[in-house]
Amino acid sequence: MLMEGFATAAQPEYLLYALLGVTLGTAVGVLPGIGPAMTVALLLPLTYTLDPTAALIIFAGIYYGGMYGGSTTSILLNTPGESASIVTALEGNKMAKAGRGAAALATAAIGSFVAGTIATVLLTLLAPTIADVAVQLGPADYVALMVVAFTTVAALLGSSPVRGLASLGLGLFIGLIGTDTLSGQQRFTLGITTMADGIDVVVVAVGVFAVGEALYVASRLRHGPIEVVPIGGKWMTGEFWKRSWKPWLRGTFIGFPIGTVPAGGADVSTFLSYAAEKKLSKRPEEFGKGAIEGVAGPEAANNAAAAGVLVPLLTLGLPTTATAAVIVAAFQSYGIQPGPLLFTNNGPMVWALIASLYIGNVMLLVLNLPLVKIWVKVLQIPRPYLYAGILLFAALGTYAVNFVTDDLIVLLVIGVIGFFMRRHGYPVAPLVVGLILGPMAEEQVRRTLQISEGDLSALVTSPFAATAYGILVVLLVVTVVLRLRRKKSEVTV
Amino acid sequence: MITAKLEEYAFGGLVAAIGVFTLVDATTIAARDDNVVGPRAFPYAVGVLLVVTGIVAIIATARGKLGEAEEGEDVDENVRTDWITVGKLVAVLIAHLVLIDLVGWPVAAALLFFGAAWTLGATWWRALPIAIVLALVVQVVFAYGLGLSLPAGIFEGVPFLDG
Repeated sequence: MLMEGFATAAQPEYLLYALLGVTLGTAVGVLPGIGPAMTVALLLPLTYTLDPTAALIIFAGIYYGGMYGGSTTSILLNTPGESASIVTALEGNKMAKAGRGAAALATAAIGSFVAGTIATVLLTLLAPTIADVAVQLGPADYVALMVVAFTTVAALLGSSPVRGLASLGLGLFIGLIGTDTLSGQQRFTLGITTMADGIDVVVVAVGVFAVGEALYVASRLRHGPIEVVPIGGKWMTGEFWKRSWKPWLRGTFIGFPIGTVPAGGADVSTFLSYAAEKKLSKRPEEFGKGAIEGVAGPEAANNAAAAGVLVPLLTLGLPTTATAAVIVAAFQSYGIQPGPLLFTNNGPMVWALIASLYIGNVMLLVLNLPLVKIWVKVLQIPRPYLYAGILLFAALGTYAVNFVTDDLIVLLVIGVIGFFMRRHGYPVAPLVVGLILGPMAEEQVRRTLQISEGDLSALVTSPFAATAYGILVVLLVVTVVLRLRRKKSEVTV
Repeated sequence: MITAKLEEYAFGGLVAAIGVFTLVDATTIAARDDNVVGPRAFPYAVGVLLVVTGIVAIIATARGKLGEAEEGEDVDENVRTDWITVGKLVAVLIAHLVLIDLVGWPVAAALLFFGAAWTLGATWWRALPIAIVLALVVQVVFAYGLGLSLPAGIFEGVPFLDG
């Protein structure tokens, strides 16, 4: 099956789409202010004319590429970076300033490649098996999985569980607006006819990510020249390989399961990998001053987690990050529901997609190692033009959904909400996940209760659902403990 | 810091208010009265979630646990909020959406890009030509590359620009 996928993905046309995806992905990963979630959302209306396989190959490329690009920025830019690569910034930036930028970039890129490839192999092996099991899941089991996803995305990530849950609630509310699919009743449309179709996912995602981010950055824009640390030192030496390969592998096996289970996405995996490397290192005193292991491990973990996220996405239709949620919306716009039946109903497409991930990883290694200087140039785009461009394409992408200016009003309102959320520590990812997963969750709850004729206990009595809730409780406890320990270590540092 | 706290109260209040609206408006959703869960149940749950989280956020604020403002590469933590810039950007976006129907997408888009870049500190004589070229290129790419025609407005009937 995978070989057939490679045959499809290796067609020149699809190779070009993959290249387009990974290039765009690296660019948005490098640039502050835009990320893969928003880019995929923006491209959604523009890719309706493509066949679904081509569009999904582009989106997957953007998703993987964003992970690579982010590390270049956190190593070379003189200011702290995105949360998923913050640990990389810790050691990588120190290395760059000490004149070892080349080695830091190399260990990040090669580590991402090694981890991305191993994790894609694991995805290839695991996904069909999990899909086979998942076919037998009933609606109540899906409800349980979604509750787990909601809780981990909203309450376990970020610094404030309350604000995460509030953000989730806002997303769920926006998802309610429109016509109820089961009863045909209009909800929260305020009698406005254009609201009957609901608020488009593209408008919400672009509003909260692009407009919200642009307004927020504009409110406290860092003026003056963009300081990029010059790339110095040797790229790869014997010592480089000796010190990097173990952290890469450890990072992979920390990152992949964390991405898969949904227990917290990329952030958690980088923190765990960093802690592991620090503990195992023979030179712990180097940590905080530019230890290569502190770049190699977390970068590998980051990419492995990104691939891991695709397991629940493809086999259960369960997104656990904002980008994954937008990719689910992309599937749905083509009338395809990701989930256990995906491998049977759309086999050729999924396998071509998975094959393109292997190809994309190779392309990304080339793009991010020999060609890294190009991205340094991209990184230096003057900020007024960058954010003006983001606003222009945000407005364009939104307008291109239905060609009505009403959508732009909604975009602006959601953008302003996104601006205030950033100011007050409300994470935006739960909003997007809630928006996309909410309607699916509601449908499954109602199907469960229709089958049970209103008996609420049906939601928890299936063995699978009961196990899922049990694991969730364990997860909550573990997180609280980890959080207390992290607080303690912050104090000692 | 006082204003930051007030803003936090306001945002928490907004979340709770949307929750109250959800709960109240959900009662008006037409539903048949039987024992199977209808279109109202889920909205009630969402409403409760919003009200509770909004109130807890307000309580947390009162206890001094303020939200941590997001960090970013381009965000300077040491400067005060520049409300004038934010206001100008919002105004530029409003002008854009009004102008699309009046004078067409290319003009509205060029104005959006120019206005935003200028507001953020770009030199006007450099931003203006970039804005015009960018808007026209997108217009042409949409019309001929993607087959989606953006309203040409004042350029209606002009070759290449009017798809």
